[in-house]
This record gives sequence, structure tokens and C-alpha cells, in this order.
Amino acid sequence: MEKTTPSVNRRAFLNTLGVTVGGTGLIGAGLVGGSQLLKAAQDPAKGRVPDTPFKTGHMTFLTGAGAVLGEPSIKGHTMAAEEINAQGGLLGKRKIETITADEAAGTDACVKEVRRMKLDAKIDMFTGVISSGTSPAVGPVAEELGLLTILTDGCTDFLFDKAIPNPKYVFRITNIQSSDGITAAIGVAQTWPHVRKIAHIHPDYAYGRNAYEHFTLALERLVPGTEIVSESWPKLFTTDFTAHITKIMSAQPDLLVASVWGGDYVAFYKQALRYGLFDKMKVASTIAFGVAPHAIGKDHPEGVLAGVHSNYYFTYPGGDRWPLNKSFVQRYFKRWNEYPNFQSEGAYMALYLLKSAIERANKLTGGWPEDEAIISQLEGIGIDAPSGYLYMRPDHQAYKDAVTGFSKNLPGYEFASWDPARIITIPIRNITAPLGWPKPGTTHNESTAAANWIKTTWPKVVG
Amino acid sequence: MKPDPNTPRNRSLLRLAAAMAPILLLLILLPTFVETYQIQLVTYGLIAAIAALGFNLLLGYTGLLSFGHSAYFGIGAYTVAFVVQHLGPHSMEFYILIGIPVVAIVSALFGYICVRHTRIFFGILTLAISQVVYSLVLKLYWVTGGSDGLRVPRPALLLGLLNFSGPRAFQQFITSYYYYVLAIFVVCVVLMWVVVHSPFGKALQAIRDNEVRARFLGLSIRRFRWISFLVSGTFTGLAGILWVPLNGLTTPDVLYWTFSGEIVFSALLGGFRNFTGPIVGGIVFTYLKTYAVATTEYWQLLLGVVLVTLVLVLPTGIVGGLSMLGLRLSKGRS
Repeated sequence: MEKTTPSVNRRAFLNTLGVTVGGTGLIGAGLVGGSQLLKAAQDPAKGRVPDTPFKTGHMTFLTGAGAVLGEPSIKGHTMAAEEINAQGGLLGKRKIETITADEAAGTDACVKEVRRMKLDAKIDMFTGVISSGTSPAVGPVAEELGLLTILTDGCTDFLFDKAIPNPKYVFRITNIQSSDGITAAIGVAQTWPHVRKIAHIHPDYAYGRNAYEHFTLALERLVPGTEIVSESWPKLFTTDFTAHITKIMSAQPDLLVASVWGGDYVAFYKQALRYGLFDKMKVASTIAFGVAPHAIGKDHPEGVLAGVHSNYYFTYPGGDRWPLNKSFVQRYFKRWNEYPNFQSEGAYMALYLLKSAIERANKLTGGWPEDEAIISQLEGIGIDAPSGYLYMRPDHQAYKDAVTGFSKNLPGYEFASWDPARIITIPIRNITAPLGWPKPGTTHNESTAAANWIKTTWPKVVG
Repeated sequence: MKPDPNTPRNRSLLRLAAAMAPILLLLILLPTFVETYQIQLVTYGLIAAIAALGFNLLLGYTGLLSFGHSAYFGIGAYTVAFVVQHLGPHSMEFYILIGIPVVAIVSALFGYICVRHTRIFFGILTLAISQVVYSLVLKLYWVTGGSDGLRVPRPALLLGLLNFSGPRAFQQFITSYYYYVLAIFVVCVVLMWVVVHSPFGKALQAIRDNEVRARFLGLSIRRFRWISFLVSGTFTGLAGILWVPLNGLTTPDVLYWTFSGEIVFSALLGGFRNFTGPIVGGIVFTYLKTYAVATTEYWQLLLGVVLVTLVLVLPTGIVGGLSMLGLRLSKGRS
């Protein structure tokens, strides 16, 4: 007998999900068993610590259409390294040195690059990665080489669901990908519950497929009765979207859902403007404002649900409410003369996360900690980040509150940014499969653990 | 009749053996004095050399420029990935056993279509067919993993005699796999040498140099080209089969036309008028690209400059240039 899906009222359901609008919420990112937050450690390091440099390898898009996300990533990483080195380095002794690799060289070249960095350049840690095509390729390589890794993006569920279901060396600091599509769906359900005809445009690879699937799954439960009237799957790093735009417009949807990112999104919205696409339909994106903020022009239409990969936008938490963000944005602006994006924050925090873990391990045992000791400290660590509270689950996937917002032209910025009154935040634990939820290929064969979790536990709303 | 050791063919085979012996010795001893990373790179290089060697049977010996050899390399790689996914045994010999007939059949099929034309028309046809394969692999997301590709774990070697697990499994695998590839590489070089020095190889060269005359000699030109295409595609496909366990994953990148371009580049780099040219080219190109990507974000520019310089200054490639230099030096001395 088929189990009947429980039904609830939409407003009640959104409330149980903990959705907050207006950007007032600052919710603990699913901290379990009390706060494990750290104060910046001021105590001197214990034991003998070598003064050899600590070598990191940072991989990101240095060229091509991905570079609008890649540059902020390397800038965030560099700034953190400079700050830590100015205090003498890790444990006050080991200066951070960085070598870089261009992710644009292609998936296969990236695999070779990670091996080169570990075996030839002898890096101590690997960080970075933007694309969800790259992380499942390099993750297993890092495990195979025993290379301590904090991926700053490459957020696909597939990485920890299937590619490395039991990671030892690989951690990931960005929110998991499925939460991205779900966040956008919640934004839509909250704002435009009357949309019925939906068009999709997504890059034709892991990220686009995942965004499409999880958006649809969540929306089916939050806004029943919608239908998909058009699907477009442009290749990643496409620059000409005109054929897709005309196809979308001829389907006359109420809502367009987009997960094209980086330079692709910039090209897309500029071309869509020429066709008046934004006047004809609502637009919800998972990652429109994920690029470096200044890559978006003043010509960007207002009122678009402009996601940031459900991670971080530099105006939130705003004002003086969360001084950590205010000072991060100020220092970043001073250093690079631009505002940070979620990649900057992720890459910046990856090094601070490492720093905290090393300091904790050092306090316990003295001397320079082994990788094993660093790993055991990283598992379950909680730390204050510019974006809010960051928590590393014991299964190596980080948690921070999902956030999205609506585009608006504010006089203070040279580019379209977020309407401060309409920022949506959702506690991440309410939209992610909980720790230990069965992975695909075990008790179910859904594409992700999150998909299975939604299907089994989410009710369907009525009215 | 006893074979005469002084026939030109046997003499040339001896010359090959004499030239190869010291290089082979060096390659066999290599893992004792370089690190895993370099062994891995040389393995990639040897595989690229097999691909370029196969490619050059068409370009250098038959006079047909294929811009679609990524198709055979990629089909080899994807065949292994499908075998891993659906058939089970993680044995390298099994992969090769299944993979070679598949690439041979595909090469025969595509070759049959392509050799009906020559020159630019042949090039465009090969390019078009490889792009069709690329698009299919990219779009059939649920079968091929789309742009994410398919993962291939480390196989067991020598019918399961060599298995790799434990903390230093990767390093052990690389060293064993290096010898494995080296052995196959030597077999490939000898086989190709025999092919190009056989009457069949001579016929191909005759067709390359003067098609009309070759036809008057009674050679069935299209069939010769077809068989040459088949052999060429199979060699490149074998390279793909060997490549995928080393890389651990295959993506549509290896089916894209730029990868065909890299095979052409390798042959040009080493010198396509030479038997050893593509071998040297394959290895040098592997190093060139790896270190170009590692040292500068303008690696594409660097590769472009190398290609332009090569065409303008060294049209006969590295091997051609070296042998010319050798010739000049010996002339100067006498």
C-alpha cells in the first residue's frame, strides 16, 4: 500500500523550515551539542614547530568564463594567507606558500595537476576548485594520494554521495549543491506562490542537472500544480544564449529558473535584456550573484531572485550586527579594491579553518600536528565566519545557513546588489539530508541522498 | 628458403633494435632514479606516443590528415569505463580484450565512410564524425555521465596477479603500470615498424606519393586506405584503453576536436615524416602541456607559440630537425 503524503498549509510549512525574510535572522548552522566556536587563539604554540613553509596548492579558474568566480577565490585565499603570515604563519612559525593551477585546463588536466602538486611540488594541503565537474574528479585523487584537502566549492552532492562516500582527507566548505536548488524553490514559494508554467535554463553538466532536479522536487511540494513548459541545457561556458532565450520566450512561462553561472550568467542576462525577457516573466536563479559583485552591471533588472549558491553575499549579515563580516569586507576592499563574493569568503575561511584545527591539535599534543590530528580536529569544528556560523559536519561537509536575495539597484554600489529588506535565510539543516542519511546505491537509488530525503520526509502543501 | 639477413627490411629491423636497445634500457631503469610523479608522466607520454604512432600511419605513410582521432582514443577509454560499470572484472587484460575489437570495429566503420574522400574532405569528415561521437557522449547524461565522465578504478594487472590496495597502493600501481605500458608500447612500435616496412606499408607510401601511378600499378587504393585507417584507429584506441586506468576517469574532453588537435600537434612536434617522430612528439607534448599548465595561466598562448614556431622553423619536427643537424655536422667534419 502506498503511503499517503501528509499535507500542510504552505505558510506553516515555510515556518517549520525556519525561513526568515528581511535578513534579520542569524541562525546557528546546525550546531549540535553546544557551541564549539573558537576565539582566535592568542596563546603561543606548544612544543617544537618547524619553520619550513606550509605549502598549499590552490586550484581555480584563472582563465576563461569561469574566472569571474576563480579570481575572487584566489584573492580570498591570498588575503587569508597574508593575514596569517603577518602573524608569523601557522602556529606562529610556518608561513603559508601557495602554488596555483588553472582549472580551465580541463577535468583530465586537473587530475594530473593535483598529482603534480602533491608528488612533484610537495604541497601540504590542497584547496580551491570551482566546478562540480572537477571536484568528483580530483576528490578521489586526493584521497588516493593522502592529500589533506579543503574544497572551497565544487559543491556537487555526488562527491560525498558516490565519488568518495567515506572521505578521510577531503573536506568541503561550501554548502552542498542540493540545498542550492531547494533554496531557490523556497524563495519562489515564499514570493511567487502563484506561478504555474515554469521554464528552465541550466548548464549541461552536474551542477545544472542537480539544480534542476532539487528545485523541481522541492517546488512540487511547496507549490503543487506547476508544469515545466521548456527546458534548455546550454553547454557550460557558452557565450551565445539567443537561441535559448527565444525558445524560453516562445513557451511563455510565468517563471524562469536558471543556474547558469559566472561569465555565462553575465552573458545570459545581457542578451535576455535585449529581448525583454525579464519583463515577460519572473526569474529565479540559484547563483546569478555568485560572480564577483562588480561583474554584474547596473543594467541588471531588479526583483530577480539572485542566488549566491546559497552561501554568502557581502552585504549580509549587514551593518554592525556581525562585525566579522563588516571588517572582512572592508579589509578585502582595501586589499583588492573590489567586494568579495562567496568564493572569496570560502577560500578565505578554508585557511582559517585549517589554522584553527592546527592550533587545537597543537594545544593537545604540542609540536606540529600530524595530518591525522588535523583531520580529527576539522571533523565537527565550529567557527565564526564572515557569512555567519560555520560548522564542519563529521562527514566532512560544511554547514552554513542558506541565503538568497532579490536584485536591486542601490545608490551605494556601482553594480546591482541585494535588496536589504528582502534577504531570505534558511537554517541549512532544514534543507539538507541529515548526517548519516542513506547514500544512493544503499537503501535507495535516487540521484542524491537529499532527493531521497525530500521524497520520504517532506509533506505536500495545500492552498 | 632461408631469410637473408642482408635484405633491406631485415637490416632496417636490426637498425631499429640497435637504436632502441639503449633507450629501452634507460626506460627500464627509469623507476630506480626518478620519483612516482615522473614515472606517471612518462607513462602518459608513452600512451600519447602510441596514439600518435597510430595516427601517423595515416598522415605520414598514407598521406591522409585525420582531424578526428580523438574518437578512437575516446571510444577506447569509454569502452573500458562501460566494461567497469556493467561487466565487473577489474582486470586490465579483460579491458584490452574487449576494448581492441570495439575500437577496431568502430575504426573500420568510420574508416569505410571517410576513405571515400581525400585531402580536406577527408579531414572534415573525420572531424565531423568525431564531433558526433563527442556530442552523443556529452548529451547522453544518464549513460555516459555527461561532462562528469565515468570513473575507472585501478584494475588488477596480469590476470589478477598484481593487485593494488593499502596505503601506498597508488605509488605501487604507477610503477607496475609503467612497466605494463612500456611492454605494450614496445610491442606497438615493433608491430608498426613491421607494418610500414611490409609490402603493404610500401603500397601505402606509393599511394601517398602518387595516387594515379599507384592505381596504374593495380593497387586497390580505397581498400589500402581503409585498412590503414583501421590499423591507425585501433592503435589510437589502444592508447585510450591504456590511458583510462592511469587517469582514473574519462570525460568527453578526450573526444573533443581539440584532443584530435593535440594528437596532430604531437605528430608535427616530433616530425611526421619520420617513424620515430610521433613517438618523440607524444612524449614531448605530454611534458610540454603539463609544465605549460603548471607554470603559466597563459599556457594556451605558450602552446600556440610553440606550434607556430615549429611550423615556421622546424617543419620536419624535432626528429627531422635533429637528423638534419646530425647530417650537417657530419658533412662539416668530412
